[in-house]
Amino acid sequence: MSDDISVLRVRDVLLVTMPADPDDATVSALQTRTLDAMEQHDVKGLILDLSRVEILDSYFARTVAETAKMVTLMGGETFIAGMRPSVAITATELGVTLGATRTVLNVNAALDAVPRLSQKKRAGR
Amino acid sequence: MSDDDQGAVQIEVESDIAAARRVVREVATSIGFGVTETARIVTAASELGRNVYKYASKGTMHWRTLRNGEISGVELRFEDHGPGIADLDEAFQEGHSTGGGLGMGLPGAKRLMDEMEIRTSNGEGTTVTVRKWRQH
Repeated sequence: MSDDISVLRVRDVLLVTMPADPDDATVSALQTRTLDAMEQHDVKGLILDLSRVEILDSYFARTVAETAKMVTLMGGETFIAGMRPSVAITATELGVTLGATRTVLNVNAALDAVPRLSQKKRAGR
Repeated sequence: MSDDDQGAVQIEVESDIAAARRVVREVATSIGFGVTETARIVTAASELGRNVYKYASKGTMHWRTLRNGEISGVELRFEDHGPGIADLDEAFQEGHSTGGGLGMGLPGAKRLMDEMEIRTSNGEGTTVTVRKWRQH
């Protein structure tokens, strides 16, 4: 199993998948790799796939929240997808929040939400 | 695993926090903790290990398995010789941090574990001991 972040462009969004137990260096790479890729590809948002993640500590959570805030500043929206029940329970008990993110059950649900998002934007123009 | 299993992980570089997490995950799983309980213990270890690295720059995590009659558990002891915690009450206040963090390390770890004890003295370091018992 790879310990690295995977960054893929899927349709109009960036799909970023985090490894199971990333060390601090990998977590901080999330920010730069995501923002670089956002700039490089013309995408509407970011799906952060946490389905493999086994632990979300305060450092990881803060980095996710900050990344989401930066994505918002760049005009995109962040979806957190696939958080495991054990991780959701533990993160809540720890007291972490994920800031300006939408959470969805899995990557499919996030992909479904993105076209609606772009249609809504077009309709509003 | 017998009831007197123990070990230690040195925390000296940032990646040692992740190394400590991996050891704790292995120990918790071998004791028979479930997925969520293991996530709680590993997360608490991550917060306390990061505190050691952030405030004392280095230290040690000692772990041992516990047995109290029919109940088994795990104990983690984080020892450093850093500056110590000047104000313990403040350190347990949600959102208070002297290290630029979110200030949820200590109070968060306490919530995730069953027991927590802290010994700290100015200039001599800090020892944080946490325990989790397996619910049957």
